[in-house]
Amino acid sequence: MNIFSFILKSLFRHKLRVTLTIFSLTTAFVLFILLRSVAVVFEAGWSGLDESRMQTTSKYSMIQMLPLSYGSQIAATDGVNSVTHASWFGGSFVEGDTNVATFAVDPDTYFQVYNDYEVAPDQLEKFQSMRTAALAPSSLLERYGWEIGQQIPCISTIFPRSNDEPWTFELVGTYAGQNSNTDGFLAFLFNYKYLHETYDLGSVGWYVFSIDDPERSTEIAQAVDSKFANSFDETSTMTESEGAREFMSQWGDISLMVTGILSAVFFTMVLLTMNTMIQSYRERIPEFAVLKTLGFSNTKVACFMIFEGLLLSGLSALLGIAFGVIVTSGAQEMFGNLVFMYLELETIIWGAVIATVLGLFVGIIPAIGANRLRIVDALHAR
Amino acid sequence: MALIALQQVGKTYRRRGKGQPSIEVLKDINLTVRKQEFIALMGPSGSGKTTLLNLIGGLDFATSGTVNVNEIALNTYSGKALARWRADTIGFVFQFYNLLPVLTAEQNVALPLMLTKLGSRDRKQHAQNALDVVGLLDRAKHTPAKLSGGQQQRVAIARAIVADPEILVCDEPTGDLDRGTAEEILSLLQILNRDHNKTILMVTHDPKAAEYAQRVVYLDKGSLVSTAESTNENTDTT
Repeated sequence: MNIFSFILKSLFRHKLRVTLTIFSLTTAFVLFILLRSVAVVFEAGWSGLDESRMQTTSKYSMIQMLPLSYGSQIAATDGVNSVTHASWFGGSFVEGDTNVATFAVDPDTYFQVYNDYEVAPDQLEKFQSMRTAALAPSSLLERYGWEIGQQIPCISTIFPRSNDEPWTFELVGTYAGQNSNTDGFLAFLFNYKYLHETYDLGSVGWYVFSIDDPERSTEIAQAVDSKFANSFDETSTMTESEGAREFMSQWGDISLMVTGILSAVFFTMVLLTMNTMIQSYRERIPEFAVLKTLGFSNTKVACFMIFEGLLLSGLSALLGIAFGVIVTSGAQEMFGNLVFMYLELETIIWGAVIATVLGLFVGIIPAIGANRLRIVDALHAR
Repeated sequence: MALIALQQVGKTYRRRGKGQPSIEVLKDINLTVRKQEFIALMGPSGSGKTTLLNLIGGLDFATSGTVNVNEIALNTYSGKALARWRADTIGFVFQFYNLLPVLTAEQNVALPLMLTKLGSRDRKQHAQNALDVVGLLDRAKHTPAKLSGGQQQRVAIARAIVADPEILVCDEPTGDLDRGTAEEILSLLQILNRDHNKTILMVTHDPKAAEYAQRVVYLDKGSLVSTAESTNENTDTT
């Protein structure tokens, strides 16, 4: 028997009580991982958003489309570089699965505006030249087991085909964001010409354009919107990151809510766990007296309680974080790029830090008690 | 040669609260214990037997006078040094065994060795040797709940001797046991005194138990009233 196994045995003397405490703490850590993973997305918007990229949508609703002719007018605005457009397609690749963002985009200009995306030149060339071509992030290839060159059937609830036949795209390549973190947020892209010709559409979902000087974004936004003021399709222009934040803010201040919930959860957990530890300490007062009688110093006996607190909290954190990681990965696997959840290493490190502080905190009161315990009084307590 | 020497030892407990009178538990105790002596401390309840034992065992400090062990006054030790001294010098046996319920007999016995530099394997070997001395090697893996009172007290004695201390301090070691088991325990203490050269101080209410000691010291109302050599047949003076 070593010190660790001695502390472990002492901790698990009332197996049911400790197991229930660990279960409660584990739940708190799972909540921490899940809620922080959500908050990270809402705090930062989507990674890779660029202040020098702006978007123009309908002033009244994001789902209202804008005329195709607006593109050239936006491009003619002072300070605007490249302009592209995208349209929400609402596609699904498996029956009932609508969790993949599918955009119809202009293949000639899309990667000029999104110049931080990486795509192989030969695949881009195919994407630009084939009417039915599509590009997807590698995460979708893994998820659906697709291969490049494969025909991909797709059903759209917004743009259904006659006789409910699926659209068929040819997957010509993959593209990636500037880092792997953004991969989960990338959409399935296909050539807008295919949609335009099939539906004789003449309109697009929104415009995205790059600008010379991010400092002029407000001025340029006003200039663009003024061009379409008092028209049937008035616009709202803002930087892409502002747009993302505005989109996120529909749900309120998620970060504040998450912090509030987690604070309440951990405050309750601290009280409950401290109660368990103090109860355990009180039951063992004569045993601490015996340990001191045998020659264990006050500090050593106090350290036993601190380590018990750390072990209790550490085991719970380990289980909670592991379970949280599994759930987060599972959610991303299941809901793809529509899930607002991203697990950062920083979140796991914070989980470990909280576990350490929690362990020290719940162990400190029993430790002080054990340290101050007078052997003679404690032996009489039996 | 005096192993333990008490000079003018007094112990007074101050009660909390203003105006509360202090309680003088021991007064002017002078006692000398030689190496390898087996002494029984007797007296009525409240006479100060356990308090005296606690002072000798370094569990408490005298209010007045000095308690010397191996010519060193215990009140000169710091708390940490006194804990270290207890681990090295004293083995304790309590009336209610005071074994840790989550540990097996072997682990309970090995507990004091966690304060030494011995490795895990050596600690185990020493614990098994100590259990062998008290005749409980076959119960090494049993927890206290699975042992009888007498067996638990044997484990407690094994724990007390495992670090090979010079002095055994026993507070009513047979107080919770039936006569037959008590005699087994007392015989074991006698063997430890005779064959393993342990100096033993034992508090007891039981005159039969005191007969196993070489000398009986009587306390009453905190004072040492008499000391007498044991003459009973149970006393082994060989």
